[in-house]
Amino acid sequence: MGACHEKYMDYMHAYLDGDIPPEHEQELKQHLKSCDACQAHMHELSDVVAFMKSAQPVTPPPNLTSHVMASLPKRTVSAGPQS
Amino acid sequence: MDAIVNKRIKQVLNGNQDAYAEIVDLYQSRLYHVCYRMLGNKHEAEDITQEAFLRAYINLHTFDQKRKFSTWIFRIATNLCIDRIRKKKPDYHLDAQVPGTDGLDMYSQIAASEELPVEQLEKMEIQERLQYEISRLPDKYRSVIVLKYMEELPLQEISEILDLPLGTVKTRIHRGREALRKQMSQLPMTEVGGK
Repeated sequence: MGACHEKYMDYMHAYLDGDIPPEHEQELKQHLKSCDACQAHMHELSDVVAFMKSAQPVTPPPNLTSHVMASLPKRTVSAGPQS
Repeated sequence: MDAIVNKRIKQVLNGNQDAYAEIVDLYQSRLYHVCYRMLGNKHEAEDITQEAFLRAYINLHTFDQKRKFSTWIFRIATNLCIDRIRKKKPDYHLDAQVPGTDGLDMYSQIAASEELPVEQLEKMEIQERLQYEISRLPDKYRSVIVLKYMEELPLQEISEILDLPLGTVKTRIHRGREALRKQMSQLPMTEVGGK
Protein backbone atom coordinates (compact mmCIF):
# COMPACT_ATOMS: atom_id res chain seq x y z
CA MET A 1 0.00 0.00 0.00
CA GLY A 2 1.22 3.47 -0.83
CA ALA A 3 1.68 6.59 1.25
CA CYS A 4 -1.91 7.62 0.59
CA HIS A 5 -3.13 4.44 2.24
CA GLU A 6 -0.85 4.94 5.20
CA LYS A 7 -2.61 8.20 5.91
CA TYR A 8 -5.98 6.46 5.88
CA MET A 9 -4.58 3.70 8.05
CA ASP A 10 -3.87 6.34 10.69
CA TYR A 11 -7.38 7.70 10.24
CA MET A 12 -8.84 4.22 10.71
CA HIS A 13 -7.10 3.77 14.03
CA ALA A 14 -8.03 7.25 15.18
CA TYR A 15 -11.60 6.39 14.23
CA LEU A 16 -11.50 3.15 16.22
CA ASP A 17 -10.23 5.09 19.23
CA GLY A 18 -13.03 7.64 18.89
CA ASP A 19 -10.28 10.16 18.42
CA ILE A 20 -10.82 11.40 14.86
CA PRO A 21 -11.61 15.01 13.87
CA PRO A 22 -14.91 15.25 11.93
CA GLU A 23 -13.21 16.43 8.71
CA HIS A 24 -10.88 13.40 8.73
CA GLU A 25 -13.80 11.11 9.38
CA GLN A 26 -15.61 12.52 6.35
CA GLU A 27 -12.50 12.08 4.25
CA LEU A 28 -12.03 8.51 5.47
CA LYS A 29 -15.62 7.57 4.69
CA GLN A 30 -15.33 9.01 1.20
CA HIS A 31 -12.10 7.12 0.61
CA LEU A 32 -13.49 3.80 1.84
CA LYS A 33 -16.30 4.04 -0.73
CA SER A 34 -13.80 4.09 -3.55
CA CYS A 35 -10.96 1.91 -2.24
CA ASP A 36 -11.56 -1.83 -1.80
CA ALA A 37 -8.20 -2.50 -0.15
CA CYS A 38 -8.77 0.09 2.57
CA GLN A 39 -12.35 -1.01 3.02
CA ALA A 40 -11.25 -4.62 3.56
CA HIS A 41 -8.61 -3.43 6.01
CA MET A 42 -11.16 -1.42 7.95
CA HIS A 43 -13.46 -4.45 8.13
CA GLU A 44 -10.69 -6.65 9.45
CA LEU A 45 -9.79 -4.12 12.12
CA SER A 46 -13.43 -3.76 13.16
CA ASP A 47 -13.67 -7.55 13.40
CA VAL A 48 -10.60 -7.63 15.63
CA VAL A 49 -12.16 -5.03 17.92
CA ALA A 50 -15.49 -6.89 18.09
CA PHE A 51 -13.63 -10.11 18.80
CA MET A 52 -11.60 -8.56 21.63
CA LYS A 53 -14.77 -7.12 23.13
CA SER A 54 -16.33 -10.58 23.22
CA ALA A 55 -14.00 -11.58 26.04
CA GLN A 56 -15.98 -12.99 28.92
CA PRO A 57 -15.10 -12.07 32.49
CA VAL A 58 -13.25 -14.68 34.49
CA THR A 59 -14.00 -15.27 38.15
CA PRO A 60 -11.20 -15.11 40.68
CA PRO A 61 -10.81 -18.09 43.01
CA PRO A 62 -13.20 -17.80 45.99
CA ASN A 63 -10.51 -17.72 48.67
CA LEU A 64 -8.34 -15.01 47.12
CA THR A 65 -9.07 -12.42 49.79
CA SER A 66 -8.30 -14.77 52.65
CA HIS A 67 -5.06 -15.86 50.97
CA VAL A 68 -4.02 -12.24 50.55
CA MET A 69 -4.89 -11.44 54.15
CA ALA A 70 -2.93 -14.45 55.39
CA SER A 71 0.11 -13.36 53.37
CA LEU A 72 0.31 -9.88 54.90
CA PRO A 73 3.14 -9.16 57.31
CA LYS A 74 2.10 -8.84 60.96
CA ARG A 75 0.91 -5.44 62.10
CA THR A 76 4.01 -4.68 64.13
CA VAL A 77 6.12 -4.70 60.98
CA SER A 78 3.42 -3.27 58.74
CA ALA A 79 4.34 -0.35 56.61
CA GLY A 80 3.57 3.28 56.93
CA PRO A 81 3.71 5.89 59.62
CA GLN A 82 2.21 4.41 62.77
CA SER A 83 -0.05 6.74 64.62
CA MET B 1 -16.07 4.45 45.65
CA ASP B 2 -12.82 6.40 45.99
CA ALA B 3 -14.06 7.91 49.26
CA ILE B 4 -14.69 4.49 50.78
CA VAL B 5 -11.35 3.21 49.57
CA ASN B 6 -9.48 6.18 51.00
CA LYS B 7 -11.25 5.71 54.30
CA ARG B 8 -10.17 2.07 54.41
CA ILE B 9 -6.63 3.00 53.43
CA LYS B 10 -6.44 5.41 56.35
CA GLN B 11 -7.68 2.69 58.68
CA VAL B 12 -5.04 0.28 57.39
CA LEU B 13 -2.32 2.88 57.80
CA ASN B 14 -3.54 3.42 61.35
CA GLY B 15 -2.91 -0.22 62.12
CA ASN B 16 -6.24 -1.83 61.28
CA GLN B 17 -5.04 -4.59 59.02
CA ASP B 18 -8.51 -6.13 58.65
CA ALA B 19 -9.71 -3.05 56.77
CA TYR B 20 -7.52 -4.16 53.90
CA ALA B 21 -9.80 -7.15 53.22
CA GLU B 22 -12.48 -4.81 51.96
CA ILE B 23 -10.05 -3.18 49.55
CA VAL B 24 -9.05 -6.61 48.23
CA ASP B 25 -12.70 -7.55 47.82
CA LEU B 26 -13.41 -4.41 45.84
CA TYR B 27 -10.61 -4.82 43.32
CA GLN B 28 -9.86 -8.53 43.10
CA SER B 29 -12.17 -9.29 40.16
CA ARG B 30 -10.75 -6.60 37.90
CA LEU B 31 -7.18 -7.28 38.91
CA TYR B 32 -7.49 -11.02 38.46
CA HIS B 33 -9.10 -10.54 35.06
CA VAL B 34 -6.26 -8.36 33.82
CA CYS B 35 -3.64 -10.78 35.16
CA TYR B 36 -5.42 -13.72 33.62
CA ARG B 37 -5.60 -12.07 30.21
CA MET B 38 -1.97 -11.03 30.40
CA LEU B 39 -0.71 -14.44 31.49
CA GLY B 40 -3.30 -16.84 30.06
CA ASN B 41 -3.01 -19.11 33.05
CA LYS B 42 -5.23 -19.30 36.12
CA HIS B 43 -2.56 -20.34 38.58
CA GLU B 44 -0.18 -17.61 37.55
CA ALA B 45 -2.98 -15.07 37.50
CA GLU B 46 -3.87 -15.98 41.06
CA ASP B 47 -0.25 -15.83 42.09
CA ILE B 48 0.37 -12.42 40.60
CA THR B 49 -2.93 -10.97 41.84
CA GLN B 50 -2.00 -11.97 45.40
CA GLU B 51 1.51 -10.62 44.98
CA ALA B 52 0.13 -7.30 43.70
CA PHE B 53 -2.13 -6.92 46.73
CA LEU B 54 0.73 -7.79 49.04
CA ARG B 55 3.03 -5.21 47.44
CA ALA B 56 0.29 -2.61 47.53
CA TYR B 57 -0.15 -3.28 51.23
CA ILE B 58 3.54 -3.00 52.00
CA ASN B 59 3.82 0.24 50.00
CA LEU B 60 0.46 1.68 50.98
CA HIS B 61 2.06 4.66 52.75
CA THR B 62 3.49 5.78 49.38
CA PHE B 63 0.07 5.86 47.68
CA ASP B 64 -1.09 9.38 46.92
CA GLN B 65 -4.75 9.46 47.95
CA LYS B 66 -5.53 12.26 45.53
CA ARG B 67 -5.12 9.69 42.78
CA LYS B 68 -7.18 6.65 41.90
CA PHE B 69 -6.32 3.52 43.81
CA SER B 70 -7.31 1.36 40.83
CA THR B 71 -4.69 3.07 38.64
CA TRP B 72 -2.03 2.44 41.24
CA ILE B 73 -2.83 -1.22 41.85
CA PHE B 74 -3.24 -1.92 38.13
CA ARG B 75 0.23 -0.51 37.65
CA ILE B 76 1.71 -2.80 40.27
CA ALA B 77 -0.07 -5.80 38.74
CA THR B 78 0.81 -5.09 35.10
CA ASN B 79 4.46 -4.63 36.02
CA LEU B 80 4.46 -7.96 37.81
CA CYS B 81 2.76 -9.62 34.82
CA ILE B 82 5.30 -8.22 32.38
CA ASP B 83 8.16 -9.43 34.58
CA ARG B 84 6.60 -12.86 34.70
CA ILE B 85 6.09 -13.01 30.93
CA ARG B 86 9.71 -12.03 30.30
CA LYS B 87 11.04 -14.58 32.74
CA LYS B 88 9.08 -17.51 31.44
CA LYS B 89 9.64 -16.86 27.76
CA PRO B 90 12.62 -19.04 26.83
CA ASP B 91 11.82 -22.49 28.16
CA TYR B 92 8.22 -23.45 27.84
CA HIS B 93 7.29 -26.72 26.22
CA LEU B 94 4.18 -28.71 25.62
CA ASP B 95 5.38 -31.21 28.20
CA ALA B 96 4.97 -28.49 30.81
CA GLN B 97 1.27 -29.35 30.82
CA VAL B 98 0.10 -30.51 34.18
CA PRO B 99 -2.85 -32.88 34.46
CA GLY B 100 -5.87 -30.98 35.71
CA THR B 101 -4.88 -27.65 34.19
CA ASP B 102 -7.25 -26.56 31.49
CA GLY B 103 -6.59 -26.33 27.78
CA LEU B 104 -5.96 -22.60 27.83
CA ASP B 105 -2.71 -23.10 29.66
CA MET B 106 -1.30 -25.29 26.96
CA TYR B 107 -2.26 -22.90 24.19
CA SER B 108 -0.80 -19.94 25.97
CA GLN B 109 2.44 -21.78 26.59
CA ILE B 110 3.07 -22.83 23.04
CA ALA B 111 1.63 -19.62 21.69
CA ALA B 112 4.69 -17.43 21.91
CA SER B 113 6.88 -19.65 19.79
CA GLU B 114 4.58 -21.70 17.60
CA GLU B 115 1.77 -20.97 15.26
CA LEU B 116 -0.99 -23.52 15.35
CA PRO B 117 -2.25 -25.08 12.13
CA VAL B 118 -5.62 -23.92 10.82
CA GLU B 119 -7.24 -27.28 11.59
CA GLN B 120 -6.43 -26.78 15.24
CA LEU B 121 -7.64 -23.17 15.24
CA GLU B 122 -10.94 -24.33 13.81
CA LYS B 123 -11.48 -26.62 16.75
CA MET B 124 -11.01 -23.89 19.33
CA GLU B 125 -13.89 -22.33 21.21
CA ILE B 126 -14.19 -18.57 20.80
CA GLN B 127 -12.89 -17.77 24.28
CA GLU B 128 -10.01 -20.18 23.83
CA ARG B 129 -9.08 -18.60 20.54
CA LEU B 130 -9.30 -15.16 22.06
CA GLN B 131 -6.79 -16.04 24.77
CA TYR B 132 -4.53 -17.71 22.22
CA GLU B 133 -4.45 -14.59 20.05
CA ILE B 134 -3.79 -12.31 23.03
CA SER B 135 -0.98 -14.53 24.22
CA ARG B 136 0.75 -14.26 20.85
CA LEU B 137 1.00 -10.50 21.12
CA PRO B 138 4.35 -9.04 22.17
CA ASP B 139 3.98 -7.94 25.81
CA LYS B 140 4.13 -4.23 25.07
CA TYR B 141 1.07 -4.52 22.85
CA ARG B 142 -0.59 -7.09 25.05
CA SER B 143 -0.83 -4.82 28.07
CA VAL B 144 -2.46 -1.93 26.19
CA ILE B 145 -4.89 -4.21 24.35
CA VAL B 146 -5.91 -5.96 27.57
CA LEU B 147 -6.42 -2.70 29.44
CA LYS B 148 -8.35 -1.14 26.59
CA TYR B 149 -10.55 -4.02 25.47
CA MET B 150 -10.83 -6.29 28.48
CA GLU B 151 -10.98 -3.57 31.12
CA GLU B 152 -12.37 -0.88 28.81
CA LEU B 153 -10.21 1.80 30.39
CA PRO B 154 -9.84 5.25 28.86
CA LEU B 155 -6.54 5.89 27.07
CA GLN B 156 -5.55 8.51 29.64
CA GLU B 157 -5.86 5.99 32.45
CA ILE B 158 -3.90 3.39 30.49
CA SER B 159 -1.16 5.96 30.05
CA GLU B 160 -1.04 6.51 33.83
CA ILE B 161 -1.07 2.79 34.62
CA LEU B 162 1.76 2.00 32.24
CA ASP B 163 3.57 5.27 32.88
CA LEU B 164 3.75 5.98 29.15
CA PRO B 165 2.95 9.18 27.26
CA LEU B 166 -0.54 9.21 25.75
CA GLY B 167 0.93 9.24 22.25
CA THR B 168 2.87 6.04 22.93
CA VAL B 169 -0.25 4.34 24.26
CA LYS B 170 -2.12 5.26 21.08
CA THR B 171 0.70 4.00 18.87
CA ARG B 172 0.84 0.72 20.76
CA ILE B 173 -2.90 0.21 20.52
CA HIS B 174 -2.74 0.85 16.78
CA ARG B 175 0.13 -1.60 16.37
CA GLY B 176 -1.53 -4.10 18.66
CA ARG B 177 -4.69 -4.04 16.56
CA GLU B 178 -2.64 -4.43 13.37
CA ALA B 179 -0.72 -7.32 14.93
CA LEU B 180 -3.98 -9.06 15.85
CA ARG B 181 -5.32 -8.47 12.36
CA LYS B 182 -2.24 -10.07 10.82
CA GLN B 183 -2.18 -12.95 13.30
CA MET B 184 -5.80 -13.70 12.60
CA SER B 185 -5.67 -13.39 8.83
CA GLN B 186 -4.93 -17.12 8.72
CA LEU B 187 -8.41 -17.83 10.08
CA PRO B 188 -10.52 -14.77 10.87
CA MET B 189 -13.26 -15.24 13.45
CA THR B 190 -15.80 -14.25 10.81
CA GLU B 191 -15.09 -17.60 9.15
CA VAL B 192 -15.76 -19.48 12.35
CA GLY B 193 -19.30 -20.61 13.05
CA GLY B 194 -19.89 -18.50 16.13
CA LYS B 195 -19.56 -15.04 14.62
